[in-house]
Parts: sequence; structure tokens; C-alpha cells
Amino acid sequence: MAEMEYKKETRSVEGSWPMEHWSWKFESIALISKTREAFKEKKLLGLKCPGCGLVYFPPKPYCRCMSEPDEWVEVKQQGTITTYTFTGAWAYEGIKEEEGPAGEPLIIVGVNFDGSDTLTVCTLGEAKPEEVFVGMRVQLKWPENIEGRLDDIAHVVPLRE
Amino acid sequence: MAHIDVAVTGVGYSKHVSKRRDVNIAELVWEAVSNCYEDAGLKPKDIDAVVTGNMPAFEGVNMPELWGAGHWGAYHKPLIRITTGGTTGGSVAHAAYYAVASGLYDTVLAIAFEKQSDGNSTMGLNTVALADAAAQFQQGVDPGFLASFGGGAVGIAVYQAASYMKRSGCTTHHLDKVSALCRNNAALNPWSHLKQPGLTPEDVAKTVLMQYPIRFGHVCPATDGACAMILTTHEKALKLQNKPAYILSCASCSDEAALMGISGSGTTNMDPCAQEHCKLAAKWAYELAGIKDPRREIDVAEPYAPFAHQMLMFYERLLLCEEGEAPAILDSGSMNLDGELPVCPSGGVISTNAIGASAMERITEVALQIMGKAGERQVKKEVHKGVAHGWGGAVNLNVVAVLSDTPRRS
Ligand SMILES: [Zn+2]
Repeated sequence: MAEMEYKKETRSVEGSWPMEHWSWKFESIALISKTREAFKEKKLLGLKCPGCGLVYFPPKPYCRCMSEPDEWVEVKQQGTITTYTFTGAWAYEGIKEEEGPAGEPLIIVGVNFDGSDTLTVCTLGEAKPEEVFVGMRVQLKWPENIEGRLDDIAHVVPLRE
Repeated sequence: MAHIDVAVTGVGYSKHVSKRRDVNIAELVWEAVSNCYEDAGLKPKDIDAVVTGNMPAFEGVNMPELWGAGHWGAYHKPLIRITTGGTTGGSVAHAAYYAVASGLYDTVLAIAFEKQSDGNSTMGLNTVALADAAAQFQQGVDPGFLASFGGGAVGIAVYQAASYMKRSGCTTHHLDKVSALCRNNAALNPWSHLKQPGLTPEDVAKTVLMQYPIRFGHVCPATDGACAMILTTHEKALKLQNKPAYILSCASCSDEAALMGISGSGTTNMDPCAQEHCKLAAKWAYELAGIKDPRREIDVAEPYAPFAHQMLMFYERLLLCEEGEAPAILDSGSMNLDGELPVCPSGGVISTNAIGASAMERITEVALQIMGKAGERQVKKEVHKGVAHGWGGAVNLNVVAVLSDTPRRS
């Protein structure tokens, strides 16, 4: 049988996926809009489930217990880190890496805000990578201009008590 | 409960490498299926039904079961496809098991595969999250910010690893050791992808850091490969061979997606390393199998671990020790091929990951260990019972199967 000719790499076809045209109207959008509006008053609004008491922040229309959360409750602006990582090359047990892009890494943390039962992914500022740990207490840091965006609550700093 | 004992009576693998340019999807799967027929001593006419599975998003080729009848011996047979992410192969095996255990069919062919080089797996993973990401952008999340969280499966795994290391005391040296153990085992496995005989933890520690705490050497390769398995009744299996392996039980359990809830809502699955649903699936599988003390009764384990920390984490979540004990058990040598409870003797998913196939390959590898047919990778101790596991989705799905050399009812 003749030797088959083949290319080394899979052929790629250029294309784009214009996600801004993707406009949703589902239920959680309306609920999260209410929470986003409250950001402008520096308030964190979560939604509590009448069936099991879990507080979803940002809110969610259906609970995992299949009840419908309906009680708006204020969630605290302090929370606890549940998990973390760093972008870029950094920190194998505290050792600075030569490899990878230069500059300070972004510290990405999962935060459980007090008074809620959910995790929110944020960046951690005003801290060095080696200072981060699971269980670390943090405080929300609002942006200078609060626009009522979901990422208004995407930045935390260490809680100084 | 009426229950028919289900035996594994044949196993077949294709060649597993990064890029199988010499075959198309149907031909790749044919290799595994024909090896399986040969291993079982059966022909397509002996098969009552076929279950197949992969993650079509990874190939970018939908409905791959189109070729089932023509290439896989599914001509004029019942055929169903199952897709559940990383657990696909486990779900396929479970479905085939239920088909026989229920008495609906006597002999069922289970097929699981992935030909990742035909598509783009990162794009495939993105399609899982694109609609959700679009909803987040709509509500004011900067796309660059979202991307910085870390993409694809590594993105999920780094959070899980950091959290596991905190909870268990596992160090990066343990991660290096896991990789070295698995890749050395893989070198003894003729069908494995990454064979690195003599690889040391020090070698792994020198590989490039991908995202804290995971290095290149802690991550699975992207593999093209297929696996096939024939399940049949206890009675039929005994006519075919002296020492079949029995699937005693299957259990699966789901949880909320971790890290991000849907469309910007919070998720209650706060710690991606908790894997409470894996513990539940394991508990149910052991109960169904009549296993009271898995630590004493399980002889070999094949946890689904594409990332190094997961071999230790799932060893704990499969209830094979107390939480936080796995790193010390690794240090003791117990997980080695000649250890008390060998783990990933096949080399594991960290050495070979044809995604759709991987969770079924955990089951076929435990079956081969029980049948004593694992060749050079056969563990030194006698194997009576083993546990096989699969993990998938945004850490939200776990499947567990318990296998034995003895059927349940005897
Ligand atoms: Zn509830």
C-alpha cells in the first residue's frame, strides 16, 4: 500500500464568535440585575432559600433543594478565601520563577462572603503571593466608579482588623 | 433485588499516541474493537447491544456513532451513545453493566474513545462554558478578567490542587513523586501514551510551571485512543474463560459546578477539592458490592487523575484512607506496583488521556489486574478486588465501579 501523505498539524480555519450578540433574558439575569443595582449603594444582596436556608450571592432563582430562593438578605463585605492560584509564572513554594512572563502575578482567589453560602472568584490585591492561604480573611474593595457591573465585586484585599 | 452477575470477558485497546494521522475516527475505534473481539473469542454476531461514548466537542465531529454499524460490529444491533465529559467512559461502562445486570441483554459491547488531534480540545472545553461566559459579559464582567481565572481543565485543577495541598499537607514534592510513579508504571504498559522509564521526582520538578501549583510534568497529555470491553453474564463468561473479572457495582454522583455558578450566580460547591459526591459514589458502590472495609478489601485502585494531586485526593475520596493521609501513604511506598495497595499501575490518566476513553480504561485495567493479564504492569500482590473511578465536568461528576474475581451472589 502506498505511503499516505499527511500534514503534521490539524488544519485550523479562522473564525470569530461574536459573544456580544448573545443576549440573554433568563430569570437569574433579572435577579442579578437587582444585586448589581445595589452595588451602587455599596450593598451586597443575596437571595435566601426558604427550603434549606442557603444564601446565594450573587442570587439564583432555583436552589439545589429545588425550592425557590425569595428572601433578599444583605451579605457582609468581609469573607474567607476558600481556594487560590496565581497567573503567570510564580511561586513554587515561595521560589520566584525565572521562566514565564515577567512582572507581578495576579492573585486569583475564591471568596466566601460572610452571610452567604457560595463562592465568588475575585482577585486579591495589597498582598504578596506568599501571604495567601486558604482560610485567609479578606475585605471587598470597591472600584472608584461603581457602575453596577458584576465585576464591581471582583476585587478583595486582606482584612485589617 | 434481582441481579444478574456481570463479567468482563474481553478488553481491547488501540494504539494511544498524540496524533493518529494514519487512521480516521472509525478506524481508530476499530482497532480497539477488533482487539476486544479477539481477546473475548467472540464475533459481532455474539453481541446483543452496543454502547459507545466520547466527547464530540473535542473532535469537532458530531454523531461519531454514524460509523458504528459499518466499522464496530454494530450492524443491526441496538446502539446508544453517551457523553458525560471526563466520566464518559465510566458512564458507557455503567450503561453496558446495567444492560446486562437488568437481564435486558446477555452480551454487550462497550466502546469509549477520543481522537483529540482531529479537533481542538481547548475549544471543545470552551464550548461547555461559552453561553455562560456570554451571560457574564452581558452583566459586566471584563472578558480579559474572566480569562485570567485560568482556562480549560488546568484552570479548574489549579484551584483544586491549591486547596487540596492546604487541606492535606501535600507538598509539591508529593506532586512530583506522583508523576514519577505513574510515568514509570506507564513505561510497563504497552498501550500507554507517555512512557518515561526512570523518570525521577527531581526531573518533574524541573518542568515548566503552568499555573501555580501545577507544572507541565503534573499534567496529562492529549491522546488519541480507543478502548473496548465486552460484558456478559456469569454463565456465558465461564464458557469463554477460566477467570473472568466481575463488575460488582457501579455508582455515580453529581454536584454543583465549582468555582462559578451558572451565568454569574454563586455556587455552593465552594471547595473544588472537597469532592463530597465522590465520597458518596464510593460509599454507594462499596455498599452495593458488599464491601465493608474498603481499606482492607480493595487490592488495587485506578483513580481518574489527569493532574498529579488528584491521585492522592481521589485515593482519599474513594475512602481508601482518612482525609489527609494519602501523601504519607505515597511516601510509604504502599502505592507502588509492589506495594500494599498499588495505585494507577497502568500509569493512569496522567500518562494517557484519550478523554472519552479514560474512565473506561480505569475499569478495564482493574479487570486485567484481577484476571492476572496485566503483563509487566501486573501488581505483585494477589488481586481479588479493585476500584475504578472517573471524574468529569467542572469537578461536578464522579463515577465509581467495584470489580472482583468472585461474582456477587456466590
Ligand atoms: Zn434550598
